[in-house]
Order: sequence, then structure tokens, then C-alpha cells
Amino acid sequence: MITDFDFLDIRLPISNGNVTLGSVLKFILILSFSILIAKVLSLYLRRSLKDRVSKDVCETIVKIFYYGTITIVFLSNLSLIGISPSALLVAGGVTGIILGFASQNIVGNLISGFFLMVERPIKIGDQVEISGISGFVTDIRIISTIIRTYDGLLVRLPNQQVFTTNITNIVGHPVRRFEYTIRIRYSDDADAAIFLIKDLIDKEPFALLNPSPSVFVSDLGDSWVNLTVRIWAPVSEWFGIKTRVLWNIKKTLEENGIEIPLPQRIVRIQSDPKKVPEELTLPVSPEKEIESVINYEERVFA
Amino acid sequence: MYGYYKPPFSIEQEGISISVENNGEHWIYRRALGTDKVEKIILADGKRLIINPVEPLNTPKEITPYLLIEFEKTLLLAGGAKRRIFLTFPIEIGVFISDRGDRNIQLLDVMTLARQKFTLYGEVSNGILCKHWKSKVYSISPSPDSLQEGVMELTLRNTSSDWASISMAVFSAYGMKLYYGSDGDAFMRARMDILNRNTAETSFELQHISGELKSSPLRDFKARKEAFGVYSLQKLGFVPPKFYMGWGY
Repeated sequence: MITDFDFLDIRLPISNGNVTLGSVLKFILILSFSILIAKVLSLYLRRSLKDRVSKDVCETIVKIFYYGTITIVFLSNLSLIGISPSALLVAGGVTGIILGFASQNIVGNLISGFFLMVERPIKIGDQVEISGISGFVTDIRIISTIIRTYDGLLVRLPNQQVFTTNITNIVGHPVRRFEYTIRIRYSDDADAAIFLIKDLIDKEPFALLNPSPSVFVSDLGDSWVNLTVRIWAPVSEWFGIKTRVLWNIKKTLEENGIEIPLPQRIVRIQSDPKKVPEELTLPVSPEKEIESVINYEERVFA
Repeated sequence: MYGYYKPPFSIEQEGISISVENNGEHWIYRRALGTDKVEKIILADGKRLIINPVEPLNTPKEITPYLLIEFEKTLLLAGGAKRRIFLTFPIEIGVFISDRGDRNIQLLDVMTLARQKFTLYGEVSNGILCKHWKSKVYSISPSPDSLQEGVMELTLRNTSSDWASISMAVFSAYGMKLYYGSDGDAFMRARMDILNRNTAETSFELQHISGELKSSPLRDFKARKEAFGVYSLQKLGFVPPKFYMGWGY
């Protein structure tokens, strides 16, 4: 008697006779189910790790778990489709060469992604500049890195490009320095200005004590004295302080009579007291005078 | 100021005013400190407020769990010696809301009257950001302004055979345990083990204070209460309560 499920026992011509349509379907079902289970478990893992470890570590653990689970399930069920894992290793060399030529970029991105996760020059949440694109790293995937620019745009960079180009990690170190150049007049007391600025920095909680800030006269310009202000701040706070302190310096200096000068040039006119001033007359030739008069009449009386 | 309060109430001390008023169907929490004002609506009944000193690492913004106390004068400790000193630390005042029996505690507000400053401990490339505090070194417990400064009893132990020159100590908030007395004095007990020329380890001692503080208003240690901490409410994860000072002391 033939049942509706007998077609599952049909042996596939591509195999050595052990692989049936049913076993292929079983393989697909197991793989699909394991992907589903891995996704659900990853969700729970991410939730439980959320408050315990940083976001990038959490994402790395979740990804290793997710892809590791799928790989293990895939390899352990290869016999269902007539492939022995040991045979896969032997065939891997040849397959690898073929795949390598066929998908150079994808494999390159994949390997770069792996090295990015191992070397970790950037982490999820970091502020970076890669290939002229600045923003926050929102995800480091297997073959691409996702960046959210400061304008809120999503940029996908292939991992090979990320790995082989210069990366500036703005938050790579716990602290960073910023600098201002403040101009004061030559008539102002530079020592007083330095004292006021240092006092202001001292009152700012996020302006670090160590490395210590520095305020000094850096240049004597044509029209002003340049003061350089260097402040170290936590990377998470530096931009807020930079904007706040600059305006406070301006206000404090002005309140104390120290002003930021406008560009100026002193012009000295030297006069000779022995020289008698003469009346200036324009040397006019007679022909030109007549001509101008003629022209005048033409214009007025014509 | 420290203690348990049942709404409605209103308190004012050293420029800090805290009140909880009934506004029909809900409660309104108000706090003012200078120009800094906080107002929150509490949608619950039968709760009580707890005001106590907390780890000094929450204001103006929680950016680090580490406190660096710089000593006003450098200490020299002989090899193998053990000495006890007293320091001061900045106080932050935490306001919590809870059910009866101190269940379901939730942080409502944190404020401070103490000076706030941050510093880096270690190298620019891999150092640790710390809240900074400069303290005199006392041989007996001082009596500072209880709303601004607390007292830390620090036991220094030089486990090496060399002299140790100590000018600072760094502590992790995850191990901090604060106590406060009936008159508002805050207290912590910590230890610092000098391991070698450049490294030391700091930790907090959780046992209650003995009656050694003869000159301190905290001598009535039976009246002392354990403060609820902001960090103790958080899930600790894998953060160790001890701090290893690897960039010198």
C-alpha cells in the first residue's frame, strides 16, 4: 500500500543512496528550528546580560552563542544530507579555494569582521571616524559595521574597509583634551586673565585636576595677546564643557574689564615743523582747461 | 536630616529644602538646593521616604564608580607596619522611597553640598576616571559638617618590607558601606594594603564600628544605622568590590 508520505523515501540521485527527500527535509527542519531556538535564547541572553556587562561585550557574547549554536547544529546534522564532517574537512581545502575565488569580497569582509571582534579597535556605542564618516557605532556584524552619523543617517561600511582603513576612535581613551585661544588687549593684565580663567576651570567639576589644565600666554600678535587654554575632560563630557566654559570665560573676562580686542592698526602721521605749508594747486595744462570749458558749455547749454 | 519620613512632611537645613505634599490623588516631591530644583509626582500611597548619606559618586552625573581621596600631606609608612588614620570624604544625600519594612526601595533624588571635581588615576590611555576629594589626615576622628563631609577610618597595612610613601587612596563604590549616627554624622571604614612599591589594594569593612571613636559624636554606636546605597541597589554584575591600585599611591 502506498501512503501519502512515501515520497519522503525517494532516494536522491545526487547521493550515494542513503539520502532521501525525507532526510533532506529533516535537515532543513532541524536547521530552521535551531535558528529559531538560537534567536529566542539570544534574546533571553541579551536581556539577562544587559545590566551586567557593557553593550559591546553583551553583543559579542550573544553573537558567539547564536552563530556557534547554528554551526554546531549544522555540522552535527550533515550526515542527513549525505555529507560526513570528516569528508567536509578533506573537501574543505578544495571548496575553500573555489569559494575564496568566487567570493573574495564576502570572505574578506567575514575575516575582517572576525578580526574586528577579536582586536576590538572599536566597540558598539563608540564615537568613531572611519573613511571620513563620523558617528556612533551601532552594530558590528559579521560582514559589515553600522554607523549612525551625527546627523542621524545610517551608514553601512564593509568590514574589510573598516579593518584596512585608518580608524579614529574619539572615545578610545577615558579622557581627552581640548583647547581654546583667547585674545586679550595689550592694555589688559594677562596675569589677571590667567588667574580668572584658572579659577573658572577649577569651579568646573568635569575639568580634570589630573592631567592638569594649563593657561599661558602663547603669542604676542599684531593687535592682541593670545592666551592658550588647555583642559582635559572625560570623553563623555568634553563637548558640553567645551561649549560651556568658553562662554563663561568670555563673560568672566568682560565682567573684570578684560576685553577681547577688535583688529586694529596704529597709524602715526609725522609732521615737519620747519616746513611751511603751501597751498596745493593742481597742475592743469591750458589745452585741457579750454577743453573742459567747451565741454561744459556743450553739456549745459546744448 | 537623615532618617525615615512619612508623607506629608517638610524639612529645611543648610539651604536644602525637601517636602512631600498631598495633591489630591497623588503626592508631589519637591527639593530645592540653591538654583537646583527637583519636582516629582509619586503615584502611590502608604509609602515612606528615607533620607541618608550615599556613595559620593552620583552628582553632578554618575560617570565613574571610583573615589580618589588625595591626602593633604604625604604619609610614610614603615615596612610591615599597620596604622589607623582618619580622613574625610564628600557626602551626597540620597532620598529613597520604600514600602514599609524597607521593601521595594527606589532612589528618588541625590544632592550634595560638597565640592565636586573629577580626576584621572593612571595613564591617559588606560587610566581610571575618579571623583576627587582632598582630605586632611587625622589621628583621631574629626567632626566635620555632617551634611558636607563624612569620616572614613582607614587602616593602612604595609605588607612589603620597604617604606611606603602614601599620598592618595582610590576606592570602588561597589564595596562602600556607609553608616550614619543619630545626629547625622556619616561614617565609613576602609582598609588599604600596600602590596609593593607601586601597588596597593583598597576595600571596605562591612562590620559595625567598635567603640573606638572616643572623640567622635558617633561613639554612641548603638544608634548608628546602615545607610542605603545607590550602588547597592544596582545589579553588581561582575564588578569586584575591592580596588587594585596599579598606578601608585
